[in-house]
Amino acid sequence: MPLHKKIISILKDILNVLKIEFQTMFRDRGVVIMFVLGPLAYPILYCSLYKNETLIDVPIAAVDCSRSPQSRELLRHIDATQNVAVISKYGTLAEAKEAYNEKKVHGVVYIPADFSKKLATGDQTSVSIYCDISSFMYYRIINQACSNSVLAMSNQIQVERLNANGITGESANVISNPIPYNGVILYNEGAGFASFLMPVILVIILFQTLFLGIGMIAGTSREENRFHVLVSSSVHRGGTVRVIIGKSICYFLMYAPWAFYALELIPRIFNLPHIGIPFDVMMLMIPFLLATIFFSMTVSVFIPNRETGIVIFMFMSLILVFLSGVSWPQSNINGFWRAFAWMYPSTCGVQAYMKINTLGADLHHISFEYISLWVQSLIYFATTCWAYHWQIKKTSKKQLKEDVVTIHI
Amino acid sequence: MSNDTFTAFKNTLYRELKRMVSRPIYFISTFVIMTFCYIFFLTFFNEGQPNKMPIGIVDLDNSSLSRQFTRNLEATQQVKVVMRLSSHKEAREEMQRGNIYAFVEIKRHFSNDAITNRRPTITFYVNDGYLIAGSLISKDITYMSAATSIGMQRKILRAKGLDENRIKGIIQPIALDTHLIGNPWANYGTYLLNVILPGMLQLMVLLMTAFPIGVEYKQRTSREWVENANHSMFAALTGKLLPYTVIYTVLGVIGNILLYKYMHYPLNSSIGWMFLATFLLVVSSQAVGVIFIGITPVLRDGVTFAGIFGTLGITFAGSTFPVEQMPTGTRIISDLFPIHHYFNIYVDQALNGVAIHYSLISYVIMLSFLILPFFVFDRLKNAAISQSYPTK
Repeated sequence: MPLHKKIISILKDILNVLKIEFQTMFRDRGVVIMFVLGPLAYPILYCSLYKNETLIDVPIAAVDCSRSPQSRELLRHIDATQNVAVISKYGTLAEAKEAYNEKKVHGVVYIPADFSKKLATGDQTSVSIYCDISSFMYYRIINQACSNSVLAMSNQIQVERLNANGITGESANVISNPIPYNGVILYNEGAGFASFLMPVILVIILFQTLFLGIGMIAGTSREENRFHVLVSSSVHRGGTVRVIIGKSICYFLMYAPWAFYALELIPRIFNLPHIGIPFDVMMLMIPFLLATIFFSMTVSVFIPNRETGIVIFMFMSLILVFLSGVSWPQSNINGFWRAFAWMYPSTCGVQAYMKINTLGADLHHISFEYISLWVQSLIYFATTCWAYHWQIKKTSKKQLKEDVVTIHI
Repeated sequence: MSNDTFTAFKNTLYRELKRMVSRPIYFISTFVIMTFCYIFFLTFFNEGQPNKMPIGIVDLDNSSLSRQFTRNLEATQQVKVVMRLSSHKEAREEMQRGNIYAFVEIKRHFSNDAITNRRPTITFYVNDGYLIAGSLISKDITYMSAATSIGMQRKILRAKGLDENRIKGIIQPIALDTHLIGNPWANYGTYLLNVILPGMLQLMVLLMTAFPIGVEYKQRTSREWVENANHSMFAALTGKLLPYTVIYTVLGVIGNILLYKYMHYPLNSSIGWMFLATFLLVVSSQAVGVIFIGITPVLRDGVTFAGIFGTLGITFAGSTFPVEQMPTGTRIISDLFPIHHYFNIYVDQALNGVAIHYSLISYVIMLSFLILPFFVFDRLKNAAISQSYPTK
């Protein structure tokens, strides 16, 4: 066969597989839920849940045993912060504890009786806070609000005391803060929770819906034993590859718009960090989607039924979030789990997207992830070819027996 | 329970046990996945707190004072200086590459300025894109910077001839001591695992309630299932689900033991209350699972919704981001998730160790989930007999 005719026939085959795959996809309600409703609704849902970014006016109680102008001033300071509200005052710690047990408050500020006396005599005094730590956020917010207020008041008193010791003017300024420090928060200036976690969730949503969707399609064709259809379209040598390329183009075309929606539009709509160059994000999405598609197609060979994928792999969503190394820093993941994490395209996808989108990195900054994703695409393409080939061969050999190779999970 | 129903229940139970050994999915979705989760999370968070996270330093002064500062930073628990960089730009790029989570900049003439009272500034930049790493690192660098400043203060004041008590009152007029109720070590693993492990459990329970019921409709064996249970939906459901109740309760209790006995996470009340909560989490999740498969007796829809609900449950439990700070209405929705009530019990009992009557309401709510399946009895039965639902 002349070369150009062969190419045309290959392209025809691929186009044919693509067409069939698109038809199957849209005729299947379950797949539509996974491939359309999932990537559409999940990002909106999670963004809405976490839209508050930080905690506002967390209720706390005050136990003011000092009852002095100074103690009242400190409490006013604490109350005035955006994150904390002093909603009730109690005479004793026991009463405050009762309020805490009833979950009316999430923290207690305790000011001892000798607070103002010690301030007057120039001694060191103390303030205690008790934090609810059922959530990491409570502890951080309450501790931060209280220590900032205490620090502001301390600085004021410090200058007064230096003056009282005959140290005034510039000299007092120097002593009160001889080496000032200045902490600058970058990339997530408000220390927002959504800004931190949503980029991770968005990538994982793309990964998991695509993975489970492909699993569902494979499970279905397995149930309906549609494999011999694939075989008939691959009478020529290398037919397996044509089937795989046709299918993967179909999934890719389906998910490219979703990737743009989830990774570019959603951060703009919900005001999440988006300082990366959109072109770089899209360049990254190509190997990410390819690696995900081929990874899923490889695994899908072992999925015997429509629902198996969901039952067996749904729990991985959360594990993938942790493996991606954003909430628990990647530097602190041990070698074994780091290697395990690398196998999932979502890990490099999350890291690379995070770095481009949130930290404003360029493609050359993320070369490790970028190259990894291309390597994964190649490896998983090879494994998909092998797995499909194996499947098609087995099926055509024993066409009469149903579901021979199926490992009945 | 009448004798008839009991026989029906027994028959269903045997029938289900036979089905369970027929396909590996039952074994995988119970023992394999939960064991994997336990091993994964316990080994993943075994540090408790992320320690020695990489940061960089831009030391343009390179004096004994600035080197001392770097050494002091090294001595903190959560920070490790992994690279010395020559410029701000270089440091920022390392941060964008993700190699460091923060860097400290010490300007030229730092030491000289400090000695001559010209108040040189230590500036540090923290990447809060990685919020947890960022805020922990920020805490340690702030502490060290403050300590450096205080050391300097002390030196100057001593030189001025003030006595130590005076100095203490000037350096830090108000000391703040923070007490963490119930979790004195602020162990990050504690925050997460106490919710994630039961979260995984309820997810698998939900899926493995919708699945074994739904698969009857899909394989067109539902009529046989109901007939075998002598047309008693109560016997059909209890007989079918009891094996899972037992398996997941045992797995959940093992989880509790791992957390409170093996990892020694805070437990300020009797572990029995957590066992009870775990049992109720299992049965209430089963009740919700029955609702999902009852609304649409189509296997695929049932497991999809059960899975979505189970995944959302981990968010709605309220550990990562408190539910009361979520948008209005979310709080009411969160009450529909059994795991939310489990979380309340955990906070009250294991963490805070308050009297049991505070948690009573949560136990009662979890128990009341068991009413739910009765609403779909008729629907499930009719669908089982008519077998008219699509199998796809």
